[in-house]
Amino acid sequence: MVERSVVAMRKGIHEDVAAVVVGLAAVLLALAVTWAARPVDESGSRQRYPKGWPTPLAATVGVPGSWTDQPLTAFRDQSDRWAVRPILLGMGWVVLVGGLGVLLARRSLLAYLPAAAALVLLACLAYLLAGQKLVKYYNLEYPLWALAVGLFVTNAAGLPRWLAPALLGEFFIKTGLVIFGAEVLVTRLLALGLPGLMTAWIVTPIVLVTTYLLGVHVLKIPSRPLCMTLAADMSVCGVSAAIATGAACRAKKEELSLAIGLSLFFTVIMMVAMPPVIRAMGLDPILGGAWIGGTIDATGAVVAAGESLGKEAGEVAATVKMIQNSMIGLIAFAVAAYWAGWVDRDAGGPRGTLAGEAWRRFPRFILGFLAASLVCSWLHAQGPEQALWVEGATTGFTAKLRGWLFCTGFVCMGLQTDVRELAPLLASGRPVLLYVLGQSLNLALTLAMASLTFGWLFRKVVEP
Amino acid sequence: MTEPGKCSRVVRLLIGALVVAVIWCGLFPRLLEVGPVKRHVALMEERRVDPSAMYYTELDRLPLRPAWVDDVLVLWP
Repeated sequence: MVERSVVAMRKGIHEDVAAVVVGLAAVLLALAVTWAARPVDESGSRQRYPKGWPTPLAATVGVPGSWTDQPLTAFRDQSDRWAVRPILLGMGWVVLVGGLGVLLARRSLLAYLPAAAALVLLACLAYLLAGQKLVKYYNLEYPLWALAVGLFVTNAAGLPRWLAPALLGEFFIKTGLVIFGAEVLVTRLLALGLPGLMTAWIVTPIVLVTTYLLGVHVLKIPSRPLCMTLAADMSVCGVSAAIATGAACRAKKEELSLAIGLSLFFTVIMMVAMPPVIRAMGLDPILGGAWIGGTIDATGAVVAAGESLGKEAGEVAATVKMIQNSMIGLIAFAVAAYWAGWVDRDAGGPRGTLAGEAWRRFPRFILGFLAASLVCSWLHAQGPEQALWVEGATTGFTAKLRGWLFCTGFVCMGLQTDVRELAPLLASGRPVLLYVLGQSLNLALTLAMASLTFGWLFRKVVEP
Repeated sequence: MTEPGKCSRVVRLLIGALVVAVIWCGLFPRLLEVGPVKRHVALMEERRVDPSAMYYTELDRLPLRPAWVDDVLVLWP
């Protein structure tokens, strides 16, 4: 994503700052509205509010549901009534967020609005493709289809010129990341205590750094951002980690697309293969659950594979993955700092004092992402009511809003990507080899650490 | 090499859309009836698992510390 958006934000405030302003405003809005509508009865009861306090904003952002052979059923709710309004409103939020970005950049709204309307329709189509039951239950997530829709339109029919004013792919993704920060709760780290921390936090950084160095120094992959994005999506938590680190190290659109494609391809294989392998190896389901949680990239696929082993394995798998999920903020910050302080400096950029130059290059939106994460983590830790407040605001509103923003951002990326530029990356075979080697290391180290923690140090867990 | 005309671009777009429609509305629903796929989908629906969730906040149930962990696991020995 090293290129500027087609609508470069030259006149107004910097794109990163605009993303932070709009993203934090959305998080504050979600928290304020959820607080204003807080329940009066049993407001601290998790049994009553398992996903946090209900928020009125939830009715203003919906995504197409799942369907089998009739796509229109994606627009009906569980009671089989039409549920088009929340989906249209969700699309409206995207148009509004992009419009704010355009205004902050002092560009014309008149050219933006019709293009944005068409763009969100393409994003809706991507959600529709991802909602087909087979696709959904085999973890082929919406970013893949958003990229595919964009790639298909631009490579089959060409990029319509009138669509250009809404191609704010980087802005949508950066704003989505700032909003995403509200879901990255560092308090989740302690969910499984020391064994969970050891399984998720010792292995993950080792695999991340080793895979990156392997790609750069052994496989000699020319693009460092590609190596880092691949290493992060494989060792942390798939697409969400790829988006965050890819943005932090300014990976190109083609590189991020490749990393996401590889991650989803191998996730499907591992989701299907790991449960029978664990049974064949005779591993305890809880140990197996920890292994799955630490290795399969995508959260949904982790839960699916864990549940195939049993309820307790599913719970451990999901919790280990959630602990890894909460590492995204720290890793994105570390990658951005490393890139600003070392990689870009080595690339021959202008030199000043090390700290000053690093600060000049540091992507500011990462600070917004961290701010949202730290504030929501602090709030979440204040007590049961505050925890339900944050969870209600995030699961009810911000998670869906940033989903729409990511989806639209990936459609933009697909529209601006020439499929021929992906070919040389794939033809060399080295990114695939890097993924396979890194994932093999991940599988071995995670199994060793899970055996050490859940099977030996804390073996009461796996004893009957 | 000349750029394709507007007509041929529209035709390519329509053919592509038709192929996608046939795969998504015809092939995929049939694959859902195949034994192992059917069992996988049925298990996921029974357990209310959404394998397409990108982050834990998108799951139907938030993964909190399982209650049984407190009985068997010394969190901070």
